[in-house]
Amino acid sequence: MKRLSILSILFAFISSFALAAEVNVFSARHYDSDIQLYEKFTAATGIKVNVVSGKDKALQKRITEEDADCVGDLYITADAGRLGAFQAKGMLQRAGWSKAIKDSVSNNFRSAQWVGIAKRARIMYYSPERVSANDLNGMTYEGLSDPKWKGRVVIRKHNNIYNQSLVASLIKNNGKTATATWAKGVVANMARDSKGNDRAQILAVAAGEADIAVANTYYYALMLSGKKGAEQQAAAKKVMPFFPNQQDRGTHMNISGAGMLKHSPNKANAVKLVEFLLTKEAQEHIVNNTFEYPMIAGVSPNALVPGADLSFKQDLKTSVKSYGTKQADAIEMMKAAGWK
Amino acid sequence: MFKKFNIWYTSSFIISFIVAIPILTVFTSFFEDTSNYFEILKQTFLAEYIFNSFILLIGVLLLTFIIGTGCAYLVSFYQFPGVNFFKWALILSFAVPPYIYAYSLTAFFENYGTAFTILKHLFGEANYNSSIPKFDGMFGAILSLSFSLFSYVYILTRASFYYQSQSLIDLGKNLGFSKTKSFFSIILPSARPAIVAGLSLVAMETLSDFGAVSFFGINTLTTGIYNAWTGFDDLAFANQLSFYLLIFILAIFILENYSRKKARYHSQTKGGFKQKEKTKLNKSNSFWAFAACFVVLFFSFIFPLSQMLYWTIIFPKNFFDLKIFDLFTNTIYLVLLSSSALIIFSFITNYGNRVSRSKLLNILTTFSISGYAIPGVILAVAFITFIAWFDNTVISFFELKSIKKLFIGSILGLVLVYFIRFYSLACNGIKSGYEKINRSIDESAYLIGYSKLKTFLNIHVSYLRNSILLIGMLISLEVVRELPITLILRPFNFETFATTAYIYASQDLLEAAAVPSLCLIMIASFFILLTSKYILRDNSE
Ligand SMILES: [Fe+2]
Repeated sequence: MKRLSILSILFAFISSFALAAEVNVFSARHYDSDIQLYEKFTAATGIKVNVVSGKDKALQKRITEEDADCVGDLYITADAGRLGAFQAKGMLQRAGWSKAIKDSVSNNFRSAQWVGIAKRARIMYYSPERVSANDLNGMTYEGLSDPKWKGRVVIRKHNNIYNQSLVASLIKNNGKTATATWAKGVVANMARDSKGNDRAQILAVAAGEADIAVANTYYYALMLSGKKGAEQQAAAKKVMPFFPNQQDRGTHMNISGAGMLKHSPNKANAVKLVEFLLTKEAQEHIVNNTFEYPMIAGVSPNALVPGADLSFKQDLKTSVKSYGTKQADAIEMMKAAGWK
Repeated sequence: MFKKFNIWYTSSFIISFIVAIPILTVFTSFFEDTSNYFEILKQTFLAEYIFNSFILLIGVLLLTFIIGTGCAYLVSFYQFPGVNFFKWALILSFAVPPYIYAYSLTAFFENYGTAFTILKHLFGEANYNSSIPKFDGMFGAILSLSFSLFSYVYILTRASFYYQSQSLIDLGKNLGFSKTKSFFSIILPSARPAIVAGLSLVAMETLSDFGAVSFFGINTLTTGIYNAWTGFDDLAFANQLSFYLLIFILAIFILENYSRKKARYHSQTKGGFKQKEKTKLNKSNSFWAFAACFVVLFFSFIFPLSQMLYWTIIFPKNFFDLKIFDLFTNTIYLVLLSSSALIIFSFITNYGNRVSRSKLLNILTTFSISGYAIPGVILAVAFITFIAWFDNTVISFFELKSIKKLFIGSILGLVLVYFIRFYSLACNGIKSGYEKINRSIDESAYLIGYSKLKTFLNIHVSYLRNSILLIGMLISLEVVRELPITLILRPFNFETFATTAYIYASQDLLEAAAVPSLCLIMIASFFILLTSKYILRDNSE
């Protein structure tokens, strides 16, 4: 009996101790480099980072069902569309982001509930052999529906979140009717039914299956880095990146971000973790491992990433918040256009 | 009299009830109604899901039938070099789950993939991409599932061929049938129940597959239910889809039962288990038989194994980065917990059934074993839904402490859902063993003064030692390969080989998925090697 009570005191002590110095992360971004960052954070602050990783929807479902009992503090995922949609379900709370966070992340890439920790752009890749400079002169996302690209375009399926956010930004800028027509035009221009991931689109251009592809920036750097093998490195060199909409609003930008969960038990620690992720040290770690763009000023992207000098015009007019709000419309529009 | 059985009765009642819970949840949520996202598009989605599930099912059944019965026929009726090796080597395909097969297919055949590298090294620089076939989308999914699942058909059909009487085969000879005609009009029909049983297992696994189809971006009923449930919070649509899925499953059940009933006639004609004489093949036919078996072994096992091995070798960093020891202990921990829980509790229910002979309990047991027919991903979500509902209504009504943390994201919850999913496997296995123990043995044990418990421990358990071993291995195999349940319900900082492989793959880091996949294949192969003796048992008991 006595031993039991000692044990229970010990247990209570340990668990309260653990409660005081931990932060629980639900992450849909499972990079080893993220884990290394969390370890650095623990070393610096003594706050333990617990992670459960998984696919986005499964994590969201679990958080929703656990509701008030969910011990998660932060929900970390790629794409503002996911954060926005999850916020719309009422599962995030006002985080009370510190001044440090607000100062380093421009208003465009955060909301009261979530904040960007790295940026990416969704750009085009073309074959310099089959696409002329003239073809690309003033090229825009809108231009992908131009009949001159008939049978030459590759892009992922409609259920991909990056596409949903891209189309959401088009709806935000051009309206529903114009975007519905645009989606039909793009489908008519596709070189094949949509399939595969972003990298597969770039590879399709390299292999001559198509002339122009849409994919995120970091995939190209990943291929160039040789981490995907020598063949893909060589293949990446056969295509050229292109930043669309440079003459108007700029290239479509997106974020990886962290949202503060509704019932976060360690809110202060969560804010601390986000602050850490936005430090120069952490940002440098991120850009060199995931090949995203830094969220803060004063850190340079990895040299392999297209637009590494950050001289291209980013679309800072369209708030990434609209990706969540227009998501349902975007899906409906692509589906109606017969986008696989 | 009744009182005496109370402990057994209650405990087996409770077990059956627990197992039935998520299945009941799926059914009861039929009456709920939620969001009306994409109202107009639902019918298009529905048609697409049903169509895809149907095509997938037909494709996989056809391929597994051809491969499974073909191999079983060759190794059962013919003598050729390597036949004894192939007999067991062909079941190694079990070690490669469909989703890992899918990774290998993509890695090998994609633009600038492994096939490209090989061609380049052989014939020099050129654009081979357009001449390399692309096994992706629906076709890729069909291939992945077929090469991973054909063993079900192979094992059951081979066993049935084995017991086919010599007289049946002689009959064909006497009638002057050719080999082909004998095969189609005598051998195949008499093995039909086994083939159908194998195919229905394949069908069940195909319909519930999540990893491979979602990797190839195929929308089936299962992924549709999952998406409707998790993405749109649209229970009504999820249930509508579940309903169609259950129709599929029910149809399979009925077909299987029907064919088993018919089988009773066939077994009447059995003429003892006289060892059949295998036909010795001449040189060229030997070669073809060998080639056929080798091709199957190659595509089902050697190919995915080599692809994963190749990646591990050319990207060694992934090997050193992976916490293999942690993943190994986690995987084994789950295997040990769930297989011992399953075996112990299936014993209790089976014993309960045996001593109580209750009709109700029998029905409940039958119902509770249907967990295997419900896709794992749906089972996991249903479990969460049920716990949340129970917590919000019953627990909060009595103002008790919330139980969610206890069950969601805990090892307990995880093992519980494994339990529900694989209970039929364990329960049926113990049951078939039990049926071989004559009830009169129990009676005599009681007569010499044995208690129920002592009878159970000293007599039943020792009688069934082999069944226990076999079932333990099969469960372990399933747990090692299991993906969706683990993915959804596992605790913080807890990964297995399967979840690690899947998460890497879904982050477009297929080459990093190679190491955990390879480990998974090796552990699974180890379990298969241990069990193969029982699975391929040739001596009639
Ligand atoms: Fe990505």
